[in-house]
Amino acid sequence: MKRILIVDDAATVRLYHRQILEAAGYKVYEAVNGIEALEKSLQQPFDLYVVDINMPKLDGYGFLRELRSQDIYQAPAIMVSTEAQTSDHQQAFAAGANAYLVKPVKPEQLLIQVKLMIGEARG
Amino acid sequence: MTPLLEQFLSEARDFLEGIGEKLMQLEDAPGDAELMTALFRMVHTLKGNSGLFDFPEMTRVLHAGEDLMDAVRHEQVEYSQDLADRLLDAMDFVGMLCDEVEAKGSIGAHHAADSARLAESLRRLIASVDAAAAVVAVVASALPNALTETGIVVAEADLPPLVDIPESIRMDAYRQACGGVDLHWLDYTPAADCFFQGDDPFFQARGTPGFLWGSITVRQPWPALAELDAYRCVLEFHLLTTAPREQLDEYYRYVPDQVRMIPVTPLFLALPQGNRNGGPVAYENFVDKALGLLGANQLEDLVLAASNLIELSSLELWLSSALRWLLLVMELEPENRNAFAKIIESLRRQSPPKWTELLPKVTGGNPPAKTELHLSQHSLTPEEAEVMTKMLDVQREILNLPIQENWQLGRIKAVAATLTGCLMASGDVAARAGLEAATAMALEEAASLPLLAWLDQFQQTRSTASVESLVNQADVGVPVPRNLSEIQSDLSADAVRVSDVDAEAKFGRRAEDAGIGPKSLKVDQQKIDRLMNLIGEMVVSKNALPYLAGRAEDVFGVRDLSREIKAQYTVINRIAEEMQDAIMQVRMMPVSFVFQRFPRLVRDTSRKLGKEVNLVLVGEDTEADKNVIEALGDPLVHIVRNSLDHGFEQPDERRAVGKPVAGTLTIRASQESDRVVIEIQDDGKGIDPDIVKRKAYQKGIIDEATLERISDQDAINLIFAAGLSTVDVISDLSGRGVGMDVVRTAVEKVNGAISLESEIGKGTRIRLSLPLSMAVTHVMLIESAGQTFGIPMDSVLETVRVPCASISSIKQSLVTVLRGNIVPLKSINALLAIAAPPQANSDHELAVLVVRCGNEAVGLLVDDFRETVDIILKPMTGVLADIPVYAGSALMGDGSVLMVLNIKELLP
Repeated sequence: MKRILIVDDAATVRLYHRQILEAAGYKVYEAVNGIEALEKSLQQPFDLYVVDINMPKLDGYGFLRELRSQDIYQAPAIMVSTEAQTSDHQQAFAAGANAYLVKPVKPEQLLIQVKLMIGEARG
Repeated sequence: MTPLLEQFLSEARDFLEGIGEKLMQLEDAPGDAELMTALFRMVHTLKGNSGLFDFPEMTRVLHAGEDLMDAVRHEQVEYSQDLADRLLDAMDFVGMLCDEVEAKGSIGAHHAADSARLAESLRRLIASVDAAAAVVAVVASALPNALTETGIVVAEADLPPLVDIPESIRMDAYRQACGGVDLHWLDYTPAADCFFQGDDPFFQARGTPGFLWGSITVRQPWPALAELDAYRCVLEFHLLTTAPREQLDEYYRYVPDQVRMIPVTPLFLALPQGNRNGGPVAYENFVDKALGLLGANQLEDLVLAASNLIELSSLELWLSSALRWLLLVMELEPENRNAFAKIIESLRRQSPPKWTELLPKVTGGNPPAKTELHLSQHSLTPEEAEVMTKMLDVQREILNLPIQENWQLGRIKAVAATLTGCLMASGDVAARAGLEAATAMALEEAASLPLLAWLDQFQQTRSTASVESLVNQADVGVPVPRNLSEIQSDLSADAVRVSDVDAEAKFGRRAEDAGIGPKSLKVDQQKIDRLMNLIGEMVVSKNALPYLAGRAEDVFGVRDLSREIKAQYTVINRIAEEMQDAIMQVRMMPVSFVFQRFPRLVRDTSRKLGKEVNLVLVGEDTEADKNVIEALGDPLVHIVRNSLDHGFEQPDERRAVGKPVAGTLTIRASQESDRVVIEIQDDGKGIDPDIVKRKAYQKGIIDEATLERISDQDAINLIFAAGLSTVDVISDLSGRGVGMDVVRTAVEKVNGAISLESEIGKGTRIRLSLPLSMAVTHVMLIESAGQTFGIPMDSVLETVRVPCASISSIKQSLVTVLRGNIVPLKSINALLAIAAPPQANSDHELAVLVVRCGNEAVGLLVDDFRETVDIILKPMTGVLADIPVYAGSALMGDGSVLMVLNIKELLP
């Protein structure tokens, strides 16, 4: 079963994403900020990250930059944020995101991206 | 409710609380960047969360708040008190929406206007450097605008360009309007970046309900093609619809700030258009002839003349258009002579008829649906009565909602309007005066209590009336008046916050989880109550062990086994007691839970009154049972309001008597043995006992003899008497002193006591003393007529045995003299309607339990006293709940049920 880490400081958003992803048969883990996400990534590999931008302690950009700079398993990451500006997209990709979704994310939208990223889209 | 929605509401409340707190902190340290960032993140996250649901009203306000905080954070906008006020207002609104979502599962479309207004007022702060002025302007202009938009007054300049609409469509609209539909002109100006938000303005406009006609214009001249940004929407949509206002509001609820709706008076559509030159020469004669015919009331001739003239003219002439309108108006509004004259006049001038001159002072697209129910003495059918009972119950629920400063007045007004409607419908005109008085009082105090009291009274009289008139209607629900404690326990069904300080040690949290969020968990109160019940049962069943040990020894003669059982019992007993204590601890909450609303309350209220008051909170971490803490809330608010309103002097008055200009209000919580003590102290002008005395005498609360001999302290205590006001001018804040007797009642309901000390010129101190916990009740067991009853220890004064000889009777009542005081005696058997007489012991003494009833001591004649025990009191449920003399029941160690008496209700 593919393992996905949701990184978001809002419990409601975590629950929302968890419900969508678990319904699609993924194993879901949660982290409330970048620091915690890094710690969890060091303990076990994930197949995908779903990352919020604005979080306390270490934000989404910081987390991805840190993650990409480390010599650990490099899973794809979907950035999820309320910001719709092009500059945010660019910053996200520069930090190492593989996709960018604008909140609120529709369930099918999220699942398509997740399947694309995990490489199940064709199957 | 889905788990996701529950999670959202719970998180949203935390955030709202946090935002309020952070804003207050920012007032003291406006430059604190860290605080600012935290504040921004909360608003941001909350907005993100709300976006997951279909709550556009909420999201819009939060979005504006987020943008504003972002601007403040980047120092584009300066932090100001005004800004804090706006944000607090906006958060109160969001809080109210949360309440509504919780109650109904959705947000009513009617909040869209408020939401747009709040969002707009926040955005103005971003847009304008001269923030304060702009905000004032927005608020000032918001009301008149709302009036125009909801559709009454239309000035000429505001008229939409109806003439743009083709004549045939206008005529069709006019026909429909005369048939009774509402016409609205709609200007829809989508946001420039709407494409990025997934909006499709064209689709939105096309789908408008009742769509008759539409046009699209561009807001500013098109730029050169090279500079054109195809992703910005610069279009404006103009529509004519036949949909009612509510339907349009609902349809445009996501973008109410982008839509302007103007009700269209049907006649305004009668605008002739076409070529003004040419036409038959006869038309000038026609005007005079037509006016003459109109004056002579020969309408048929007028129609004939007009029709003839139309046939002579070509269709595209302005003249013929005007004639067509004349005929149409004559056909559909045959009574409207003025309108005919206007059109004929316009023929002469060849300018559109000036319809606005015709407009009566108040008119509109939708004539107000007058619900005039002049059905005096109309008796309700059973079905109607049932509906009314339901309506009244809903009003009660609304009144019982937690107080929301900014929406309270609106709520009260809404409830009052509904209740008035109910009275009109039932023809109960006599009750209206009472309702109006209660409403006025509620509005002055901004509290629901007066209305609740009225409602109680009204429902009681109503239920008796309905029982009388509908003896056979067994299915008509008779509303049971609910007492305050029941309401409170309903309210406290919310989640209880469980403090979990030692969690790290106890549960061995994994390192990866360390440092995440606050170390507390939210648990549904019902779960805790269940735990309480279970532990109660366990305590009871463990008490069977000593009994078992006794049997092992006496019946079966196994002493060793008996000893072992006893040893085991001590262990189980200890664990059970510790468990009970631990669960009590879980129910404990710090008083800060109630205190936290005071900084805001004091700030807002003192500003409103033009006074300066510093609030000092002491002992916020003092803990008490959740029910106690919750019962404290409303009385405290009342006391604080009273103190701010009546206690503190105006600043110049204070200066004149040499006091510091800013007053100090101290709220101090502390624990004294098994009670929580809250003191509210102000350094205001104090209470003048002479004024209180005089007032009480004038109001007939005390008689002349009492007036002469009453002590100053007793006089001050008269403040707690019902219906006393010491203030001549009733202010709009704390009202007329009725508050204090309500406060006293509320405090006494939870076994609390209230006392007051005051010194003229120095200030007033009010002291509330409440039990730490209401979960465990200490009762004394008594026996009477072979039954055992429990009596709460807090009402027991002493137990004495009185020789039968020293009991005498005065006017058929038994009395005895205890240490020089006459104590009335009541037989508990008689009070409970048990036939048996009190039993004396072998020394001819009667057992007398002296209890406190109000301020008096009363002796209860019982057969015998037994030990005191701690019990977990369970309130009576079901049919038994209506028997007030019993406070509840408890399970005893031997499995029997103990009935606990309610002394206050027992004694007449």
